[in-house]
Amino acid sequence: MSFGHTNKVYTTESGEVVYAMVAEFETPADVYHAAEKVRDAGYSKWDVHTPFPIHGMEDAMGVKRTILPMVIGVIGLTCAGLGFLMQWWMSGVDYPLMTQGKPFATWQAFVPITFELGILFSAFTAIIGMLFFNRLPQWYHPLLKKDRFLRVSDDRFMICIEAGDKNFDPDRTRALLEGAGGTHIDLVEE
Amino acid sequence: MSQVSAAGHSHGVGADHPALRSSNISMAPGAGTGLKSAFIGLGVLGLVVAAIGWFKDSTHALAAFHVGVITAITICLGATFFVLIFNLVNAGWVSTFKRQYENVMSLLPIVALLMIPVFVLDALDGHALYNWMSAPAHGDVLLEKKTGFLNPMFFYARSAFYILLWAYITSTLRRLSLQQDRTGDKWLTAKARRTSAWAILVLALSSAFASFDWLMSIDFKFFSTMWGVYFFAGSAYVGTATMILILALLRRAGKMEGAVTSEHFHDLGKLLFSFTVFWAYIAFSQYFLIWYSGVPEETAFFHMREQGAWPLVGLAVIISHFALPFVIMLFRGIKRNPTTIAFFAVWSIAAHVIDMFWVVRPVAHVGAADPVGWGMIWIDAGAVLGVLGLLGWLIVGRVTSGPLVGVNDPRLGESLEHRNYV
Repeated sequence: MSFGHTNKVYTTESGEVVYAMVAEFETPADVYHAAEKVRDAGYSKWDVHTPFPIHGMEDAMGVKRTILPMVIGVIGLTCAGLGFLMQWWMSGVDYPLMTQGKPFATWQAFVPITFELGILFSAFTAIIGMLFFNRLPQWYHPLLKKDRFLRVSDDRFMICIEAGDKNFDPDRTRALLEGAGGTHIDLVEE
Repeated sequence: MSQVSAAGHSHGVGADHPALRSSNISMAPGAGTGLKSAFIGLGVLGLVVAAIGWFKDSTHALAAFHVGVITAITICLGATFFVLIFNLVNAGWVSTFKRQYENVMSLLPIVALLMIPVFVLDALDGHALYNWMSAPAHGDVLLEKKTGFLNPMFFYARSAFYILLWAYITSTLRRLSLQQDRTGDKWLTAKARRTSAWAILVLALSSAFASFDWLMSIDFKFFSTMWGVYFFAGSAYVGTATMILILALLRRAGKMEGAVTSEHFHDLGKLLFSFTVFWAYIAFSQYFLIWYSGVPEETAFFHMREQGAWPLVGLAVIISHFALPFVIMLFRGIKRNPTTIAFFAVWSIAAHVIDMFWVVRPVAHVGAADPVGWGMIWIDAGAVLGVLGLLGWLIVGRVTSGPLVGVNDPRLGESLEHRNYV
């Protein structure tokens, strides 16, 4: 999965490449505190799967804030500016048309469309950027092969640590998850 | 664990919360006297300066005083609007500081009484402000058509009516809130909500008509159906700014720790930001339609503000009221830091003063070589700071008069646990 397999590639007994190790938890509180332990152990390629959002989980996981707002701001303002320029060029330079006796290039008349284009491209950037940063859409994900994983949309909470993580080690990672109170700890094949 | 399950779900947290300990939510006796004397000093000094200005140029001083009075009224109207909205939507996140909104709200009828000196001075000055009352305007066909509405008797009666309505609404809501402090009756919250339901309609109409009467009628030929909204947008903006300032000062005084946090400042900052945008949207929409249609009575309003140095003032309004705060307040950190958002609160109040200055003051020097009257700008500084000094004095008096938090508000738990999560 990860770029540049610098670390070891683990395989299961059947010879399949290991994607990740998962552990189940019974309650939001259990998975919350387990996430804190995984974070403190220095893992970076891992995730928590829950049936509903758990407040404060970003902090427990040590997730950094997304840069998406910055991207939206820059692209939104740029497109608003370009939209203004487009109208100025169309009405003022390329095809000047007398309207209501107003001058050809009047900033007043350009404001609504400038505003709308700023909003439109901000919205596009928000949606597309969100998909991009979440690496969506994904047509296949190894976790979906596991029947027990389906319970994270019902009554179970799961932590999944990817084998591509530089700290991943089958024994130590298992010990960490066990120590954090995880049950049904298992490997997931690619 | 508390972060996981308690957040946003707890109700009816009582006085056992550490943030609600008495020393944290009440002012020591005599606290705020320094600030109070500073404000009353500023108020008296400013009004003395304005009074001197009255003898130099009465119309200038009158218009300047009107700028100050309108600013003070909009601050209190903004607070009133938010109390009504918070009651109506059962807002939980504000309950630790809704009392402060109510404090400012309760000053609305008092501050609105300052319209009486405005009317008196206007009459003494030959109706320089409301010149449709003066003899030369009589016979103007545009005025004749409006006399059914725009006649002195009805005008003064309406003004009195607005103030009476506001006095009734604000005193009722304040009474219910203070009563809850004493009795702990949770149903008073529901009662306040019922009152707010009709009061919000009344406030919307009365504040819009007040803005027509007290501001729009300064140019009796001018009309804009957007005017009430424009006035409201400015009120909500400056009301939020005042609230942020009060809370930041209380936090600085070491009060409300844990009761008003970065999370609350963040949301108040979002409100301030949104009303910056809303104001700009309304202000531009009003200008845009008038610019496009080019009806003489309407364009005259903007034409008047294109004389001399008035465009510079207009530019200052656009930059200070919208462009600059819009770009800077986009950033999350600015809104979460009490110091930076308090800076923008003061900034916003100043921007709103410039906006009201741009609305009211052109009437003072129509057709003069210097239509802004820069030479006597000290009168404006005196009058505006004088009225705002009085308002500040009243606000500090209200804030220090009782507990800083409505301690029996059933939604306190929600506010104490309030977090933004994003």
